[in-house]
Amino acid sequence: MSYATTHPAGHHDEHHPSGLLRWLTTTNHKDIGTMYLTFSLIMFFVGGLMILAVRAELFQPGLQLMRPEFFNQLIGVHALVMIFAALMPAATGFANWMLPLMIGAPDMALPRLNNWGFWLLPPAAILLTLPFTLALFGIGDGAIATGWTFYAPLSVQGGMGVDFAILAVHILGISSIMGSINVIVTIFNMRAPGMTLMKMPLFAWGWLITAFLLIATLPVLAGAVTMLLTDRHFGTHFFDAAGGGDPILFQHLFWFFGHPEVYILLLPVWGLMPHVLSTFSRKPTYGYKAQVYSFIAIGVLSLIVWAHHFFTAGMPVPALIYFMFSTMAISLPLAVLFFCWIATMWKGAMTFETPMLFAVGFIVLFGIAGLTGLVLADVAADAQYHHSYFVVAHFHYALFAGGIMGVMTGVYYWLPKWTGHMYNETLGKWHFWLTVVSFNLTFIPQFFLGLAGMPRRIPDYALQFAEFNAISTVGAFILGISQLLFAWNIWSCIRGGPKAEARVWEGAEGLEWELDSPPPHHSWETQPVIK
Amino acid sequence: MSEPFSAEDLARRRTASRRLGWAIGAAVFALYLIGFLFKR
Repeated sequence: MSYATTHPAGHHDEHHPSGLLRWLTTTNHKDIGTMYLTFSLIMFFVGGLMILAVRAELFQPGLQLMRPEFFNQLIGVHALVMIFAALMPAATGFANWMLPLMIGAPDMALPRLNNWGFWLLPPAAILLTLPFTLALFGIGDGAIATGWTFYAPLSVQGGMGVDFAILAVHILGISSIMGSINVIVTIFNMRAPGMTLMKMPLFAWGWLITAFLLIATLPVLAGAVTMLLTDRHFGTHFFDAAGGGDPILFQHLFWFFGHPEVYILLLPVWGLMPHVLSTFSRKPTYGYKAQVYSFIAIGVLSLIVWAHHFFTAGMPVPALIYFMFSTMAISLPLAVLFFCWIATMWKGAMTFETPMLFAVGFIVLFGIAGLTGLVLADVAADAQYHHSYFVVAHFHYALFAGGIMGVMTGVYYWLPKWTGHMYNETLGKWHFWLTVVSFNLTFIPQFFLGLAGMPRRIPDYALQFAEFNAISTVGAFILGISQLLFAWNIWSCIRGGPKAEARVWEGAEGLEWELDSPPPHHSWETQPVIK
Repeated sequence: MSEPFSAEDLARRRTASRRLGWAIGAAVFALYLIGFLFKR
Protein backbone atom coordinates (compact mmCIF):
# COMPACT_ATOMS: atom_id res chain seq x y z
CA MET A 1 0.00 0.00 0.00
CA SER A 2 1.32 3.47 -0.75
CA TYR A 3 0.21 6.84 0.42
CA ALA A 4 -0.09 10.24 -1.16
CA THR A 5 2.02 12.93 0.46
CA THR A 6 0.47 13.88 3.73
CA HIS A 7 1.17 16.82 5.95
CA PRO A 8 0.65 16.34 9.63
CA ALA A 9 -1.67 18.85 11.14
CA GLY A 10 -0.06 21.49 13.32
CA HIS A 11 -1.04 22.22 16.86
CA HIS A 12 -4.19 24.15 17.39
CA ASP A 13 -3.85 27.35 19.27
CA GLU A 14 -7.25 26.89 20.90
CA HIS A 15 -7.36 26.69 24.67
CA HIS A 16 -7.45 23.30 26.37
CA PRO A 17 -8.19 22.87 30.07
CA SER A 18 -5.19 21.83 32.11
CA GLY A 19 -4.67 19.72 35.19
CA LEU A 20 -7.38 17.40 36.46
CA LEU A 21 -10.10 19.17 34.46
CA ARG A 22 -8.30 18.25 31.25
CA TRP A 23 -8.48 14.56 32.06
CA LEU A 24 -12.06 14.70 33.35
CA THR A 25 -13.45 16.50 30.33
CA THR A 26 -11.19 15.45 27.51
CA THR A 27 -12.69 14.14 24.30
CA ASN A 28 -9.33 13.76 22.59
CA HIS A 29 -8.69 10.17 21.55
CA LYS A 30 -5.05 10.30 22.61
CA ASP A 31 -5.84 11.62 26.10
CA ILE A 32 -8.53 8.99 26.55
CA GLY A 33 -6.20 6.29 25.23
CA THR A 34 -3.58 7.40 27.75
CA MET A 35 -6.14 7.23 30.57
CA TYR A 36 -7.22 3.73 29.55
CA LEU A 37 -3.62 2.53 29.44
CA THR A 38 -2.73 4.15 32.76
CA PHE A 39 -5.81 2.68 34.41
CA SER A 40 -4.96 -0.71 32.93
CA LEU A 41 -1.40 -0.60 34.26
CA ILE A 42 -2.57 0.33 37.75
CA MET A 43 -5.16 -2.44 37.80
CA PHE A 44 -2.57 -4.90 36.43
CA PHE A 45 -0.56 -4.32 39.59
CA VAL A 46 -3.67 -4.48 41.81
CA GLY A 47 -4.68 -7.83 40.29
CA GLY A 48 -1.07 -9.00 40.44
CA LEU A 49 -0.74 -8.23 44.15
CA MET A 50 -3.89 -10.26 44.82
CA ILE A 51 -2.53 -13.33 43.12
CA LEU A 52 0.87 -12.97 44.78
CA ALA A 53 -0.95 -13.25 48.11
CA VAL A 54 -2.61 -16.40 46.76
CA ARG A 55 0.70 -17.84 45.60
CA ALA A 56 2.26 -17.01 48.98
CA GLU A 57 -0.47 -19.04 50.66
CA LEU A 58 0.18 -21.92 48.26
CA PHE A 59 3.95 -21.85 48.79
CA GLN A 60 3.64 -24.79 51.13
CA PRO A 61 0.82 -27.09 52.29
CA GLY A 62 -1.30 -26.04 55.24
CA LEU A 63 -2.98 -22.72 55.92
CA GLN A 64 -0.38 -20.03 56.59
CA LEU A 65 -1.60 -16.58 55.77
CA MET A 66 -5.35 -16.38 55.25
CA ARG A 67 -8.74 -17.92 55.77
CA PRO A 68 -10.06 -20.08 52.90
CA GLU A 69 -12.93 -17.61 52.35
CA PHE A 70 -10.48 -14.75 51.79
CA PHE A 71 -8.39 -16.98 49.50
CA ASN A 72 -11.48 -17.62 47.34
CA GLN A 73 -12.25 -13.91 47.21
CA LEU A 74 -8.72 -13.05 46.10
CA ILE A 75 -8.86 -15.59 43.26
CA GLY A 76 -12.22 -14.38 41.92
CA VAL A 77 -11.43 -10.68 42.13
CA HIS A 78 -7.94 -11.24 40.65
CA ALA A 79 -9.55 -12.73 37.55
CA LEU A 80 -12.25 -10.08 37.26
CA VAL A 81 -9.70 -7.29 37.71
CA MET A 82 -7.23 -8.74 35.23
CA ILE A 83 -9.86 -9.43 32.56
CA PHE A 84 -12.19 -6.46 32.87
CA ALA A 85 -9.97 -3.81 34.40
CA ALA A 86 -6.51 -4.60 33.03
CA LEU A 87 -6.59 -6.47 29.70
CA MET A 88 -9.78 -5.04 28.18
CA PRO A 89 -8.93 -1.41 29.02
CA ALA A 90 -5.42 -1.93 27.63
CA ALA A 91 -6.87 -3.06 24.30
CA THR A 92 -9.32 -0.14 24.36
CA GLY A 93 -6.43 2.20 25.12
CA PHE A 94 -4.60 0.88 22.05
CA ALA A 95 -7.75 1.36 19.96
CA ASN A 96 -8.21 4.92 21.15
CA TRP A 97 -4.62 5.89 20.59
CA MET A 98 -3.96 4.11 17.33
CA LEU A 99 -7.15 3.60 15.32
CA PRO A 100 -7.59 7.27 14.29
CA LEU A 101 -3.88 7.52 13.50
CA MET A 102 -3.94 4.31 11.48
CA ILE A 103 -7.09 4.97 9.46
CA GLY A 104 -6.46 8.69 8.91
CA ALA A 105 -9.29 10.00 11.09
CA PRO A 106 -9.08 13.26 13.07
CA ASP A 107 -10.50 11.54 16.17
CA MET A 108 -12.88 8.76 17.21
CA ALA A 109 -16.34 9.30 15.73
CA LEU A 110 -18.12 9.80 19.07
CA PRO A 111 -15.66 11.61 21.37
CA ARG A 112 -18.04 12.38 24.24
CA LEU A 113 -19.23 8.79 24.38
CA ASN A 114 -15.54 7.92 24.50
CA ASN A 115 -14.97 10.08 27.57
CA TRP A 116 -18.03 8.63 29.30
CA GLY A 117 -16.96 5.07 28.47
CA PHE A 118 -13.64 5.60 30.23
CA TRP A 119 -14.95 7.35 33.33
CA LEU A 120 -17.30 4.45 34.05
CA LEU A 121 -14.27 2.25 34.68
CA PRO A 122 -12.85 3.69 37.94
CA PRO A 123 -16.18 3.48 39.84
CA ALA A 124 -16.61 -0.10 38.61
CA ALA A 125 -13.11 -1.03 39.77
CA ILE A 126 -13.83 0.54 43.16
CA LEU A 127 -17.09 -1.44 43.42
CA LEU A 128 -15.23 -4.63 42.64
CA THR A 129 -12.58 -4.15 45.31
CA LEU A 130 -14.55 -2.14 47.92
CA PRO A 131 -15.95 -5.22 49.77
CA PHE A 132 -12.38 -6.09 50.83
CA THR A 133 -12.08 -2.70 52.52
CA LEU A 134 -15.57 -2.81 53.99
CA ALA A 135 -14.83 -6.24 55.50
CA LEU A 136 -11.85 -4.71 57.32
CA PHE A 137 -14.32 -2.46 59.13
CA GLY A 138 -16.65 -5.35 59.90
CA ILE A 139 -19.13 -4.53 57.15
CA GLY A 140 -20.18 -7.52 55.06
CA ASP A 141 -18.25 -10.70 54.50
CA GLY A 142 -15.81 -9.56 51.84
CA ALA A 143 -15.68 -9.69 48.07
CA ILE A 144 -17.21 -12.17 45.67
CA ALA A 145 -15.97 -15.68 46.48
CA THR A 146 -17.39 -17.63 43.56
CA GLY A 147 -14.48 -17.24 41.17
CA TRP A 148 -14.93 -14.95 38.18
CA THR A 149 -17.62 -17.23 36.73
CA PHE A 150 -20.38 -16.37 39.26
CA TYR A 151 -21.60 -19.98 39.10
CA ALA A 152 -25.04 -20.60 40.59
CA PRO A 153 -26.15 -21.79 43.10
CA LEU A 154 -23.06 -20.57 45.03
CA SER A 155 -23.56 -17.05 43.71
CA VAL A 156 -27.29 -17.13 44.58
CA GLN A 157 -26.36 -17.92 48.17
CA GLY A 158 -23.16 -15.78 48.42
CA GLY A 159 -22.64 -12.64 50.48
CA MET A 160 -22.94 -9.02 49.47
CA GLY A 161 -19.68 -9.19 47.53
CA VAL A 162 -21.69 -10.90 44.79
CA ASP A 163 -24.00 -7.87 44.56
CA PHE A 164 -21.03 -5.52 44.30
CA ALA A 165 -19.54 -7.69 41.56
CA ILE A 166 -22.85 -7.87 39.66
CA LEU A 167 -23.14 -4.09 39.69
CA ALA A 168 -19.47 -3.69 38.73
CA VAL A 169 -19.84 -6.10 35.81
CA HIS A 170 -22.88 -4.19 34.56
CA ILE A 171 -20.94 -0.93 34.60
CA LEU A 172 -17.84 -2.48 33.04
CA GLY A 173 -20.08 -4.02 30.37
CA ILE A 174 -21.75 -0.70 29.58
CA SER A 175 -18.31 0.88 29.27
CA SER A 176 -17.16 -1.85 26.89
CA ILE A 177 -20.34 -1.56 24.81
CA MET A 178 -19.74 2.18 24.47
CA GLY A 179 -16.16 1.55 23.43
CA SER A 180 -17.27 -1.08 20.91
CA ILE A 181 -19.91 1.16 19.36
CA ASN A 182 -17.30 3.87 19.00
CA VAL A 183 -14.80 1.53 17.36
CA ILE A 184 -17.35 0.17 14.88
CA VAL A 185 -18.72 3.53 13.81
CA THR A 186 -15.24 5.05 13.65
CA ILE A 187 -14.00 2.28 11.37
CA PHE A 188 -17.10 2.42 9.18
CA ASN A 189 -17.41 6.20 8.90
CA MET A 190 -14.09 7.87 9.58
CA ARG A 191 -11.58 6.13 7.31
CA ALA A 192 -9.44 8.25 5.02
CA PRO A 193 -10.46 8.43 1.36
CA GLY A 194 -9.16 5.40 -0.48
CA MET A 195 -8.84 3.20 2.59
CA THR A 196 -11.21 0.39 1.73
CA LEU A 197 -11.91 -2.28 4.31
CA MET A 198 -9.42 -4.60 2.62
CA LYS A 199 -6.71 -1.94 2.77
CA MET A 200 -7.32 -1.32 6.44
CA PRO A 201 -4.52 -2.15 8.92
CA LEU A 202 -4.89 -5.59 10.48
CA PHE A 203 -4.99 -4.02 13.93
CA ALA A 204 -8.22 -2.26 12.90
CA TRP A 205 -9.59 -5.54 11.57
CA GLY A 206 -8.79 -7.35 14.80
CA TRP A 207 -10.54 -4.63 16.78
CA LEU A 208 -13.55 -4.57 14.45
CA ILE A 209 -14.21 -8.27 15.06
CA THR A 210 -13.59 -7.74 18.79
CA ALA A 211 -16.16 -4.96 18.89
CA PHE A 212 -18.81 -7.10 17.20
CA LEU A 213 -18.10 -9.94 19.61
CA LEU A 214 -18.55 -7.58 22.55
CA ILE A 215 -21.82 -6.31 21.11
CA ALA A 216 -23.09 -9.87 20.67
CA THR A 217 -22.04 -11.31 24.01
CA LEU A 218 -21.94 -8.64 26.71
CA PRO A 219 -25.74 -8.18 26.75
CA VAL A 220 -26.05 -11.91 27.43
CA LEU A 221 -23.65 -11.66 30.38
CA ALA A 222 -25.50 -8.59 31.64
CA GLY A 223 -28.80 -10.46 31.27
CA ALA A 224 -27.42 -13.48 33.14
CA VAL A 225 -26.09 -11.47 36.09
CA THR A 226 -29.30 -9.41 36.24
CA MET A 227 -31.24 -12.67 36.46
CA LEU A 228 -28.83 -13.71 39.20
CA LEU A 229 -29.56 -10.46 41.02
CA THR A 230 -33.31 -11.04 40.80
CA ASP A 231 -32.81 -14.60 42.06
CA ARG A 232 -30.91 -13.22 45.03
CA HIS A 233 -33.25 -10.41 45.98
CA PHE A 234 -36.55 -10.45 44.11
CA GLY A 235 -37.83 -14.00 44.49
CA THR A 236 -37.21 -15.33 40.97
CA HIS A 237 -35.80 -18.81 40.41
CA PHE A 238 -33.94 -18.68 37.14
CA PHE A 239 -30.97 -20.59 38.52
CA ASP A 240 -32.24 -21.91 41.86
CA ALA A 241 -33.03 -25.60 41.59
CA ALA A 242 -35.05 -25.46 44.81
CA GLY A 243 -37.54 -23.20 43.05
CA GLY A 244 -37.56 -25.11 39.76
CA GLY A 245 -34.66 -23.20 38.23
CA ASP A 246 -31.62 -24.58 36.48
CA PRO A 247 -28.05 -23.81 37.59
CA ILE A 248 -26.72 -25.22 34.32
CA LEU A 249 -28.66 -22.50 32.47
CA PHE A 250 -26.38 -19.98 34.16
CA GLN A 251 -23.33 -21.84 32.88
CA HIS A 252 -24.68 -21.72 29.33
CA LEU A 253 -25.41 -18.00 29.53
CA PHE A 254 -22.13 -17.17 31.24
CA TRP A 255 -19.96 -19.08 28.78
CA PHE A 256 -21.85 -17.77 25.77
CA PHE A 257 -20.12 -14.58 26.85
CA GLY A 258 -17.09 -16.16 28.52
CA HIS A 259 -15.65 -18.04 25.58
CA PRO A 260 -15.83 -15.21 23.03
CA GLU A 261 -14.33 -13.08 25.81
CA VAL A 262 -11.10 -15.01 25.34
CA TYR A 263 -11.02 -13.89 21.71
CA ILE A 264 -12.13 -10.41 22.70
CA LEU A 265 -8.94 -10.24 24.74
CA LEU A 266 -6.78 -11.80 22.04
CA LEU A 267 -8.02 -10.44 18.70
CA PRO A 268 -6.64 -6.90 19.21
CA VAL A 269 -3.27 -8.51 19.97
CA TRP A 270 -3.50 -10.75 16.91
CA GLY A 271 -4.22 -7.65 14.89
CA LEU A 272 -1.16 -5.94 16.31
CA MET A 273 1.27 -8.84 15.77
CA PRO A 274 1.52 -8.60 11.95
CA HIS A 275 2.51 -4.93 12.24
CA VAL A 276 5.31 -5.68 14.69
CA LEU A 277 6.56 -8.78 12.85
CA SER A 278 6.50 -6.98 9.51
CA THR A 279 8.34 -3.96 10.94
CA PHE A 280 11.18 -5.90 12.52
CA SER A 281 11.45 -8.40 9.66
CA ARG A 282 11.48 -5.52 7.17
CA LYS A 283 9.03 -7.39 4.96
CA PRO A 284 5.39 -6.83 4.06
CA THR A 285 2.82 -8.75 6.07
CA TYR A 286 2.34 -12.23 4.65
CA GLY A 287 -1.23 -13.32 3.90
CA TYR A 288 -3.19 -10.15 4.66
CA LYS A 289 -6.47 -11.53 3.32
CA ALA A 290 -5.94 -14.91 4.94
CA GLN A 291 -5.51 -13.17 8.29
CA VAL A 292 -8.65 -11.07 7.81
CA TYR A 293 -10.71 -14.14 6.94
CA SER A 294 -9.19 -16.02 9.88
CA PHE A 295 -10.20 -13.21 12.26
CA ILE A 296 -13.76 -13.42 10.92
CA ALA A 297 -13.82 -17.22 11.12
CA ILE A 298 -12.48 -17.23 14.67
CA GLY A 299 -15.01 -14.56 15.66
CA VAL A 300 -17.93 -16.60 14.29
CA LEU A 301 -16.67 -19.93 15.67
CA SER A 302 -16.07 -18.43 19.10
CA LEU A 303 -19.82 -17.82 19.40
CA ILE A 304 -20.78 -21.47 18.95
CA VAL A 305 -18.37 -23.44 21.15
CA TRP A 306 -19.18 -22.23 24.66
CA ALA A 307 -20.22 -25.53 26.27
CA HIS A 308 -16.69 -27.00 26.14
CA HIS A 309 -16.14 -25.12 29.40
CA PHE A 310 -18.52 -27.43 31.23
CA PHE A 311 -18.40 -30.80 29.47
CA THR A 312 -18.40 -32.42 32.92
CA ALA A 313 -21.68 -30.76 33.94
CA GLY A 314 -23.41 -33.34 31.78
CA MET A 315 -25.05 -33.00 28.40
CA PRO A 316 -26.27 -35.35 25.65
CA VAL A 317 -23.55 -37.16 23.71
CA PRO A 318 -24.38 -35.46 20.38
CA ALA A 319 -23.94 -32.10 22.12
CA LEU A 320 -20.61 -33.21 23.56
CA ILE A 321 -19.40 -34.28 20.14
CA TYR A 322 -20.63 -31.10 18.49
CA PHE A 323 -18.93 -28.84 21.02
CA MET A 324 -15.72 -30.88 20.87
CA PHE A 325 -15.39 -30.70 17.09
CA SER A 326 -16.51 -27.09 16.77
CA THR A 327 -13.93 -26.14 19.41
CA MET A 328 -11.20 -28.04 17.59
CA ALA A 329 -12.24 -26.34 14.36
CA ILE A 330 -11.00 -23.03 15.78
CA SER A 331 -7.48 -24.39 15.55
CA LEU A 332 -7.72 -24.23 11.73
CA PRO A 333 -8.01 -20.44 11.29
CA LEU A 334 -5.70 -20.03 14.27
CA ALA A 335 -3.10 -22.18 12.53
CA VAL A 336 -3.48 -19.94 9.46
CA LEU A 337 -2.61 -16.96 11.65
CA PHE A 338 0.43 -18.74 13.10
CA PHE A 339 1.66 -19.68 9.62
CA CYS A 340 1.16 -16.10 8.38
CA TRP A 341 3.10 -14.72 11.35
CA ILE A 342 5.96 -17.15 10.77
CA ALA A 343 5.91 -16.58 7.00
CA THR A 344 6.13 -12.82 7.61
CA MET A 345 9.41 -13.39 9.44
CA TRP A 346 10.68 -15.98 6.94
CA LYS A 347 13.88 -14.78 5.25
CA GLY A 348 13.32 -11.31 6.64
CA ALA A 349 16.10 -8.98 7.78
CA MET A 350 15.11 -9.52 11.38
CA THR A 351 16.31 -7.54 14.35
CA PHE A 352 15.25 -8.17 17.92
CA GLU A 353 14.34 -4.95 19.62
CA THR A 354 12.10 -5.35 22.67
CA PRO A 355 8.75 -5.32 20.78
CA MET A 356 10.02 -8.05 18.44
CA LEU A 357 11.30 -10.12 21.37
CA PHE A 358 7.86 -9.93 22.98
CA ALA A 359 6.17 -10.74 19.64
CA VAL A 360 8.29 -13.87 19.09
CA GLY A 361 7.87 -14.84 22.75
CA PHE A 362 4.13 -14.40 22.27
CA ILE A 363 4.09 -16.76 19.27
CA VAL A 364 6.01 -19.51 21.05
CA LEU A 365 4.16 -19.33 24.37
CA PHE A 366 0.74 -18.71 22.88
CA GLY A 367 1.37 -21.80 20.77
CA ILE A 368 1.51 -23.78 24.01
CA ALA A 369 -1.87 -22.31 24.98
CA GLY A 370 -3.28 -23.47 21.64
CA LEU A 371 -1.91 -27.00 21.92
CA THR A 372 -3.05 -27.50 25.52
CA GLY A 373 -6.41 -26.04 24.51
CA LEU A 374 -6.79 -28.84 21.99
CA VAL A 375 -6.20 -31.33 24.80
CA LEU A 376 -8.93 -29.70 26.89
CA ALA A 377 -11.31 -29.61 23.92
CA ASP A 378 -11.25 -33.41 23.85
CA VAL A 379 -14.29 -34.58 25.81
CA ALA A 380 -12.69 -37.74 27.15
CA ALA A 381 -9.45 -36.05 28.19
CA ASP A 382 -11.28 -33.07 29.65
CA ALA A 383 -13.00 -35.33 32.17
CA GLN A 384 -9.53 -35.86 33.66
CA TYR A 385 -8.26 -32.27 33.43
CA HIS A 386 -11.42 -30.31 34.22
CA HIS A 387 -11.13 -27.99 37.24
CA SER A 388 -7.49 -28.93 37.70
CA TYR A 389 -4.34 -26.82 37.66
CA PHE A 390 -3.83 -27.96 34.06
CA VAL A 391 -6.67 -25.59 33.13
CA VAL A 392 -5.14 -22.78 35.19
CA ALA A 393 -1.81 -23.19 33.39
CA HIS A 394 -3.53 -23.40 29.99
CA PHE A 395 -5.50 -20.20 30.30
CA HIS A 396 -2.55 -18.30 31.71
CA TYR A 397 -0.57 -19.28 28.62
CA ALA A 398 -3.52 -17.88 26.64
CA LEU A 399 -4.19 -14.75 28.65
CA PHE A 400 -0.79 -13.83 30.08
CA ALA A 401 1.49 -15.02 27.28
CA GLY A 402 -1.14 -14.32 24.62
CA GLY A 403 -2.90 -11.31 26.11
CA ILE A 404 -0.62 -9.45 28.49
CA MET A 405 2.62 -10.14 26.62
CA GLY A 406 0.78 -9.03 23.49
CA VAL A 407 -0.14 -5.80 25.23
CA MET A 408 3.50 -5.37 26.30
CA THR A 409 4.50 -5.87 22.65
CA GLY A 410 2.18 -3.03 21.69
CA VAL A 411 3.34 -0.76 24.49
CA TYR A 412 7.01 -1.10 23.54
CA TYR A 413 6.17 -0.77 19.84
CA TRP A 414 4.09 2.38 20.15
CA LEU A 415 5.50 4.01 23.31
CA PRO A 416 8.02 6.13 21.34
CA LYS A 417 5.18 7.26 19.06
CA TRP A 418 3.03 8.22 22.06
CA THR A 419 5.70 9.97 24.13
CA GLY A 420 8.15 11.23 21.52
CA HIS A 421 10.98 9.52 23.41
CA MET A 422 12.73 6.18 23.05
CA TYR A 423 12.46 3.84 26.00
CA ASN A 424 15.49 2.16 27.57
CA GLU A 425 16.19 -0.81 25.27
CA THR A 426 18.46 -2.63 27.75
CA LEU A 427 15.82 -2.40 30.46
CA GLY A 428 13.20 -3.59 27.97
CA LYS A 429 15.25 -6.69 27.14
CA TRP A 430 15.80 -7.43 30.82
CA HIS A 431 12.07 -7.10 31.30
CA PHE A 432 11.40 -9.53 28.46
CA TRP A 433 13.79 -12.24 29.57
CA LEU A 434 12.83 -12.05 33.23
CA THR A 435 9.15 -12.17 32.25
CA VAL A 436 9.51 -15.17 29.94
CA VAL A 437 11.68 -17.21 32.29
CA SER A 438 9.64 -16.49 35.41
CA PHE A 439 6.34 -16.97 33.57
CA ASN A 440 7.39 -20.47 32.56
CA LEU A 441 8.76 -21.13 36.03
CA THR A 442 5.34 -20.22 37.39
CA PHE A 443 3.10 -22.10 34.99
CA ILE A 444 4.94 -25.17 33.65
CA PRO A 445 4.79 -26.75 37.14
CA GLN A 446 1.05 -26.08 37.15
CA PHE A 447 0.60 -28.35 34.12
CA PHE A 448 2.20 -31.15 36.09
CA LEU A 449 0.17 -30.32 39.19
CA GLY A 450 -3.01 -30.56 37.13
CA LEU A 451 -1.97 -33.82 35.51
CA ALA A 452 -1.23 -35.18 38.99
CA GLY A 453 -4.74 -34.25 40.08
CA MET A 454 -4.45 -30.99 42.03
CA PRO A 455 -7.78 -29.16 41.81
CA ARG A 456 -7.87 -25.40 41.28
CA ARG A 457 -9.29 -22.87 43.76
CA ILE A 458 -8.14 -24.59 46.95
CA PRO A 459 -6.02 -22.91 49.66
CA ASP A 460 -4.47 -26.16 50.88
CA TYR A 461 -3.30 -29.33 49.18
CA ALA A 462 -1.84 -32.78 49.68
CA LEU A 463 1.86 -33.18 50.40
CA GLN A 464 2.74 -34.68 47.02
CA PHE A 465 2.04 -31.31 45.36
CA ALA A 466 4.43 -29.34 47.58
CA GLU A 467 7.54 -29.07 45.37
CA PHE A 468 5.81 -27.90 42.21
CA ASN A 469 3.77 -25.37 44.21
CA ALA A 470 6.92 -23.98 45.81
CA ILE A 471 8.58 -23.59 42.38
CA SER A 472 5.46 -21.95 41.00
CA THR A 473 5.33 -19.43 43.84
CA VAL A 474 8.99 -18.49 43.41
CA GLY A 475 8.33 -17.98 39.69
CA ALA A 476 5.25 -15.86 40.41
CA PHE A 477 7.17 -13.52 42.71
CA ILE A 478 9.99 -13.06 40.18
CA LEU A 479 7.34 -12.45 37.51
CA GLY A 480 5.57 -9.87 39.67
CA ILE A 481 8.75 -8.04 40.66
CA SER A 482 10.04 -7.96 37.06
CA GLN A 483 6.96 -6.01 36.04
CA LEU A 484 8.35 -3.10 38.06
CA LEU A 485 10.98 -2.78 35.31
CA PHE A 486 8.12 -2.36 32.83
CA ALA A 487 6.47 0.37 34.90
CA TRP A 488 9.81 2.12 35.45
CA ASN A 489 10.67 1.97 31.75
CA ILE A 490 7.33 3.52 30.79
CA TRP A 491 7.65 6.21 33.45
CA SER A 492 11.18 7.17 32.46
CA CYS A 493 10.20 7.18 28.78
CA ILE A 494 7.35 9.60 29.52
CA ARG A 495 9.76 11.80 31.48
CA GLY A 496 12.40 11.97 28.75
CA GLY A 497 14.93 10.08 26.70
CA PRO A 498 16.37 10.18 23.20
CA LYS A 499 14.03 11.88 20.72
CA ALA A 500 11.90 9.51 18.66
CA GLU A 501 11.43 10.22 14.98
CA ALA A 502 8.07 10.16 13.21
CA ARG A 503 8.89 6.77 11.72
CA VAL A 504 10.21 5.28 14.93
CA TRP A 505 11.23 1.93 13.47
CA GLU A 506 13.16 1.47 10.25
CA GLY A 507 10.75 -1.06 8.74
CA ALA A 508 7.50 0.50 9.96
CA GLU A 509 4.78 1.04 7.36
CA GLY A 510 1.42 2.73 7.81
CA LEU A 511 -0.26 6.08 8.23
CA GLU A 512 0.50 6.30 11.95
CA TRP A 513 4.20 6.68 11.19
CA GLU A 514 3.60 9.71 8.94
CA LEU A 515 2.69 11.85 11.95
CA ASP A 516 5.21 13.34 14.34
CA SER A 517 6.17 11.55 17.55
CA PRO A 518 4.26 12.46 19.64
CA PRO A 519 1.43 13.25 17.22
CA PRO A 520 -0.13 16.72 17.32
CA HIS A 521 -3.16 17.31 19.55
CA HIS A 522 -5.48 17.00 16.55
CA SER A 523 -4.31 13.96 14.68
CA TRP A 524 -5.23 14.47 11.04
CA GLU A 525 -6.44 17.88 9.96
CA THR A 526 -5.53 17.21 6.36
CA GLN A 527 -6.98 14.04 4.95
CA PRO A 528 -4.42 11.46 4.00
CA VAL A 529 -5.34 9.81 0.72
CA ILE A 530 -4.58 6.15 0.26
CA LYS A 531 -3.49 5.17 -3.24
CA MET B 1 -3.45 15.06 -3.03
CA SER B 2 -4.53 15.91 0.48
CA GLU B 3 -7.03 18.47 1.66
CA PRO B 4 -8.40 19.58 5.03
CA PHE B 5 -11.34 17.77 6.53
CA SER B 6 -14.21 20.14 5.84
CA ALA B 7 -16.67 20.92 8.61
CA GLU B 8 -19.51 19.58 6.44
CA ASP B 9 -17.73 16.32 5.76
CA LEU B 10 -16.95 15.78 9.43
CA ALA B 11 -20.53 16.66 10.42
CA ARG B 12 -21.86 14.17 7.87
CA ARG B 13 -19.55 11.43 9.10
CA ARG B 14 -20.44 12.11 12.74
CA THR B 15 -24.18 12.10 12.02
CA ALA B 16 -23.86 8.75 10.26
CA SER B 17 -21.84 7.49 13.21
CA ARG B 18 -24.45 8.61 15.74
CA ARG B 19 -27.22 6.86 13.77
CA LEU B 20 -25.28 3.63 13.55
CA GLY B 21 -24.31 3.95 17.21
CA TRP B 22 -27.97 4.21 18.28
CA ALA B 23 -28.88 1.23 16.06
CA ILE B 24 -26.17 -0.92 17.66
CA GLY B 25 -27.21 0.29 21.11
CA ALA B 26 -30.81 -0.73 20.39
CA ALA B 27 -29.65 -4.18 19.29
CA VAL B 28 -27.64 -4.53 22.51
CA PHE B 29 -30.65 -3.58 24.62
CA ALA B 30 -32.87 -6.04 22.74
CA LEU B 31 -30.36 -8.84 23.33
CA TYR B 32 -30.24 -7.94 27.01
CA LEU B 33 -34.03 -8.09 27.35
CA ILE B 34 -34.28 -11.54 25.75
CA GLY B 35 -32.99 -13.03 29.03
CA PHE B 36 -36.14 -11.98 30.83
CA LEU B 37 -38.32 -13.97 28.45
CA PHE B 38 -37.12 -17.22 29.98
CA LYS B 39 -40.11 -18.81 31.70
CA ARG B 40 -38.94 -19.20 35.28
